[in-house]
Amino acid sequence: MSSAEGPALNIDRLLDSRWFLRALAFAAFALVWQVYATAAGGFFVPTFTETAAAIGRQLASPEVWQAFATSNIAMVLGFGLAVVIGIPLGFLMGRFRLAERAINPYLNILLVTPLAGIIPLLMMSLGIGLASRVIVVWSFAIVMVVVNTRAGVRQVDRSLIDMVRLFGAGELGVWRRVILPGSLPAVLAGVRVALGRAVTGMVIVELVMVSVGIGGLILRYQAFFRFAELYGMVVLIILEALILLAIVDWVQRKATPWASMTSIRD
Amino acid sequence: MIEIKGLNKYFPGRGRSEPVQALRDVDLTIRDNEFLTILGPSGCGKTTLLRNIAGLVPWDTGEILVDSQPVRGPSPERAMVFQNFALLPWSTVLANVAIGLEIRGEPRGPREAKARELIERVGLSGFEDRLPGELSGGMQQRVGLARALAVDPSVLLMDEPFGALDEQTRRLLQEELLRIWEQTPKTVVFITHSMEEAVLLGDRIVLMSARPGQVDDIIEVPLARPRSQHINELGESPEFASITTHLWTRLRSMQVLNT
Amino acid sequence: MTTSRGSKAVVQTTEAITGTQPVRRRARLRGWERAVGPVSLLAGAIAWEAIGQALDVSVFPPLSAVLGRLGELLADGTILGYLATSVTNLAIGFAVALVFGLTLGVLMGVYRRVEMALDIYVRAMLTAPSLVFAPIFFTLFGLDRITIVGVIVLYSTFIIVLNTAEAVKTAPRSLVEMARCYGAGDRFVLRRVILPSATPLIMAGVRLGAGRAVKGMINGEMFVAVVGLGGVVMTAGRNFDAETVLAVMTLIIVLAFMVVWLVERLDRRLTAWLPETNRA
Repeated sequence: MSSAEGPALNIDRLLDSRWFLRALAFAAFALVWQVYATAAGGFFVPTFTETAAAIGRQLASPEVWQAFATSNIAMVLGFGLAVVIGIPLGFLMGRFRLAERAINPYLNILLVTPLAGIIPLLMMSLGIGLASRVIVVWSFAIVMVVVNTRAGVRQVDRSLIDMVRLFGAGELGVWRRVILPGSLPAVLAGVRVALGRAVTGMVIVELVMVSVGIGGLILRYQAFFRFAELYGMVVLIILEALILLAIVDWVQRKATPWASMTSIRD
Repeated sequence: MIEIKGLNKYFPGRGRSEPVQALRDVDLTIRDNEFLTILGPSGCGKTTLLRNIAGLVPWDTGEILVDSQPVRGPSPERAMVFQNFALLPWSTVLANVAIGLEIRGEPRGPREAKARELIERVGLSGFEDRLPGELSGGMQQRVGLARALAVDPSVLLMDEPFGALDEQTRRLLQEELLRIWEQTPKTVVFITHSMEEAVLLGDRIVLMSARPGQVDDIIEVPLARPRSQHINELGESPEFASITTHLWTRLRSMQVLNT
Repeated sequence: MTTSRGSKAVVQTTEAITGTQPVRRRARLRGWERAVGPVSLLAGAIAWEAIGQALDVSVFPPLSAVLGRLGELLADGTILGYLATSVTNLAIGFAVALVFGLTLGVLMGVYRRVEMALDIYVRAMLTAPSLVFAPIFFTLFGLDRITIVGVIVLYSTFIIVLNTAEAVKTAPRSLVEMARCYGAGDRFVLRRVILPSATPLIMAGVRLGAGRAVKGMINGEMFVAVVGLGGVVMTAGRNFDAETVLAVMTLIIVLAFMVVWLVERLDRRLTAWLPETNRA
């Protein structure tokens, strides 16, 4: 039972390194992809290296940057509006039961509904302009902001509220000293999830209905059998999502260092 | 008989810092059917020592022999009672008590019969089908005790078993434990941070000091047995008073050194 | 009421994020307060009807027209074939996601190195807009069912993986130690200790995964545009037939609530041992 440990083998040390294991997993993935695409992929599946080369070309291509700009204008506007409207709404619902009871059924419907279904309606009423895309992004994002803000307000420790009350704070003081800081981690968590959904909304609307921006570009690659570029575009979109979320993560860590950052998000 | 010889245990230091010594040169012999209490300030390694005896965690140098056999891992011969009860919240009282037997591969019929018997002995008849979440803390620890006894261990390892209970419940369970131990003697190693509990229950008290954890003193308790019927009177006896005074002096000098 | 549960799943993830355990006293509602929700829904319905009637434009049909259209679609049976296709896609996709998600999640929870190797990729796939893979599937499988099933799997697998891994990883050490103490082997510990204790969090992931599967189904079908309910929505949208779009959307919402309700029933059955106050 006694564990007299010898000098650790180098390979063991490597296998305990997170970055090494990640790199290993990525290399394995790339290798399987490359071998499969070369051996059995045929015309429709570009190899890993072809895709990587395509990504290189795309990063140098003004057309691609233009597409990202077009898409992201709608994303930024829709997401911004969702945050600006969603946070006050969430606070309202978290603090006032009547508001909550009235809005809650609609929120639940929005949570469960595949919102892409409204896209055809928006096309009919507003056409395929910027407004339609902004509304889609907005409707994808706002639910998450509201739900998380509300949860944040509710989970504020009641005894802290009692405490500031006992020191003579009024409703305003309660908000400023306890509820706002207390709910901030959850609010930011909501903003983070909402950003992910906003990117999703942006992509969906362009893939399904309005063939502009990055979604439009993808569909064009698909139509013209430019499969390496198609795969490359998918990778680039995922990268954009990850970079945006990394930024929010960074803000979250700076703004609420006391909130433990654990894992599960939707 | 449990023999602990020259036991040393280190925990790896955080980052580049030096390893922390948790136990230093612990020598201890525990007699058969002895009720041994281990008392010490927090951080003195008493729980680590118990987990070493249980075979749950490895140590660095030294050895632990139970009936001359070296400890190499957990064994149903040494059953443990946990401070936080460690009951499966999704299993009934009956299934919880029977789990040791289940692990051992005993068929359902005999293991449930045995479990019912133990449930009765700890005074929980009628609660067989309840879930742990429906019981009070004291009742939960009775389940924990019944579970440990169900595997007929020769050694009972108890890690501050009553530490999470309120004063009255704790006293009741102390009586209960003594009563069961008097009826069916077995070796008990009982960790506590309560001087009173250490004295009232133990044949001997091992006093440990911290940083690194080591045996500071071993004290014979002169109180007569059986004690289960008159724990309260014992608590007021002059022997009890003098021994707790002695313990307090030792413990206080340790605390002073540590602060 | 199923509606209130839908939000609970999301709230639960929020709790996981902030690491707090809100002990929420459920205030007793007075009778009229209980009625606020339904009244608000009713008011919304009336407003919809009134505005629809008043505007009299094709893009905003009144509620009665939408429900009437839904009745027609159900009565003449045209919609049922599409519904069956969609539900089949959903069932296959969600089943694959479950098997894949639970297996990978348990592996990641049990083996630290598997987790270290894969966690960022699983997280990346969770946050990635999964529909971008639809064009790839389409080039590979065309109009075949696999295209949509693939989208559904991508939508719902990763939240199940992450929840499962986290649940398995955070199984109480004290219980594992207890079982070890009585001589339990790895399989016993996994089967009798880790998996049961992980079930509530795993089921939270499954619930979220089910909701995402429905979305994946509709979005995938809308992308492919000819199959299932999503296909009907797209066709109707192209024909400027708002009544049909809304009627089918209503059906989809009902379907979504039913799926979530089913998963919740399963959850309640599997985690009946949880004290009521511990439910998120």
